[in-house]
Amino acid sequence: MRGDKEIDMNGKNRKILIVDDEPDVVTYLASLLEDNGYRTIKAFNGKEGMELARKELPDLISLDITMPEETGVRMLRNLHDDPATSGIPVVLVTGVDPQYKDFIEHRKQVNPPAAYFEKPIDKELYLRTISNILG
Amino acid sequence: MTIFSSELNAWFQSRLLDQIPLNIAIIDRDYRIVYANEKFRSQFGEWANRKCHQVYQGLDDPCPGCQGMGTFEDGLPRKFEEVVGNRDYYMVQTAPALDLNGDVVYIVSMSENITDIRNHQLECEIFFERVPCYIAVIDRNFDIMRANEKLTETFGDCAGKKCYELYKKRTSACEDCPAALSFLDGGEHTSTHVGILADGGETHYVVTTTPLIKGHTECKYVVEILTDITNIKALEKEKLDAERLAAVGQTVAGLAHSIKNILMGVEGGMYMVSSGIEKDDKARLSRGWDMLQRNISKVSSLVKDFLSFAKGRKPEAKMVNPNTLIDEIMELYSETASGIGVELKRMSRTDVSERPLDPDAIHTCLTNLVSNAIDACQLSTREKSTVLLGVYERDGALVFEVADNGCGMDYDIRKRVFTTFFTTKGGKGTGLGLLTTNKIVQEHGGHINVESSPGDGSIFRIVLPISRLPEIT
Repeated sequence: MRGDKEIDMNGKNRKILIVDDEPDVVTYLASLLEDNGYRTIKAFNGKEGMELARKELPDLISLDITMPEETGVRMLRNLHDDPATSGIPVVLVTGVDPQYKDFIEHRKQVNPPAAYFEKPIDKELYLRTISNILG
Repeated sequence: MTIFSSELNAWFQSRLLDQIPLNIAIIDRDYRIVYANEKFRSQFGEWANRKCHQVYQGLDDPCPGCQGMGTFEDGLPRKFEEVVGNRDYYMVQTAPALDLNGDVVYIVSMSENITDIRNHQLECEIFFERVPCYIAVIDRNFDIMRANEKLTETFGDCAGKKCYELYKKRTSACEDCPAALSFLDGGEHTSTHVGILADGGETHYVVTTTPLIKGHTECKYVVEILTDITNIKALEKEKLDAERLAAVGQTVAGLAHSIKNILMGVEGGMYMVSSGIEKDDKARLSRGWDMLQRNISKVSSLVKDFLSFAKGRKPEAKMVNPNTLIDEIMELYSETASGIGVELKRMSRTDVSERPLDPDAIHTCLTNLVSNAIDACQLSTREKSTVLLGVYERDGALVFEVADNGCGMDYDIRKRVFTTFFTTKGGKGTGLGLLTTNKIVQEHGGHINVESSPGDGSIFRIVLPISRLPEIT
């Protein structure tokens, strides 16, 4: 979390990076978050996502796991390895089996995700969780 | 009785009889040994003034069932085997020694210690009977000359039977008879068969045939050694079933994953539609509607692919000209391909015969390979890329080839292309195309081979050995 910024309970000015290879999912999450006062930036694979994360330093990242080219796990590792990005909270949004949650939470090479959502998401819970993480 | 002069006698003894490597003894009617040679003495010890049964067996009375003395009665020579003590075997021959009147006055006993040979024979016997295989010796007419107990216990009595009658209850020789090959070329041959047991059950066995050649004569007999592999076959089947079950599990998990992704798209569409209505935002509403349509059509293509994968039907083969199949694909894809800057070209046409194929199934395979190739070309950085399509016969196989100079695949991707739900096309692919293709090709008795290198393109070849093509239905 980035305590040096002013906290805004309505999420205004908070920037969220959405990474998913599925354009419809990106559109959905972006609309949902924007409707609730967040600013969003979008990437469609792990590589693009990582570039944007470094450049824009978002307040939170909503990340898919299974993507062609660079996967979400790879991006998690890269985020962890870069001091500039290693503090950004990550919310996983994935279709992968729930058992995966236990797996990814116990890897040394990545920071444990701040939250884990299975597709399709419960949008109220998703928004509440993000608000809590940033709040 | 003196037949020879004493000098001659001495010469006979020392120069002749003592040199003979057989035990020689001359025995009178009272079982008394009147002469024995040096070899005899070295085997049985002192014999002078002793009777044969004393010397041989240490018995005071004649041996029960003595065979040798019969020669005194009928004057005929005899040959028999004698066990001395508990463990020494002798081959004994007796001959009558006549006087000038023609009466039998002595018998000459010649014997040889055959214990080593007997032991060797016993070992062979034990080996023949106890080795955990079925063994039979057959002649050129496939008549069984000899078989071990294990074989007769399993397949029944072999007397007067031919091997194929006994093992398989057939009335003629097996088509892939390895024994016939051994008779033909004098070599060893092996093949696997299914036999029918004495109790009517089935057994799987591997048979190895070895010619039984004595010296340089023509091979008259072949030894058949059968190893029961029924248990191994059962294990193989269990393993296959387990793999199949695991594949079903993976498939279901993969399917669930795909559906979850699509559902997320549907929910997104619903959100856009309902929030569009709320905000009276027509653009948002129509965007949501598009999302819904796209994701619903994804469900339908997933279900279609999944069904064609899960069908598991046998190929419905009929005689088809493979070139016709290629023509159809060319017609179907040429325009679409050129529309997106990919040239679909036909390899130079070669004459191929009509073959039994399931035209719909092969059409599906070619469709999958060609659309993959076109996708690969679109991902390529090349300005103009080409997909080459053709069919030819090579090394007894019918080969369909789809080659592209698109983006190619690295080792990691090449390894995974035939696994369930693997796709490099993100949301566009169902990950079932190549899996289905592979399955159809296997059902046609063939396989797919892949050559690819990143940046240069890929070649997919469907190789269908002609001898294994399906039968016409």
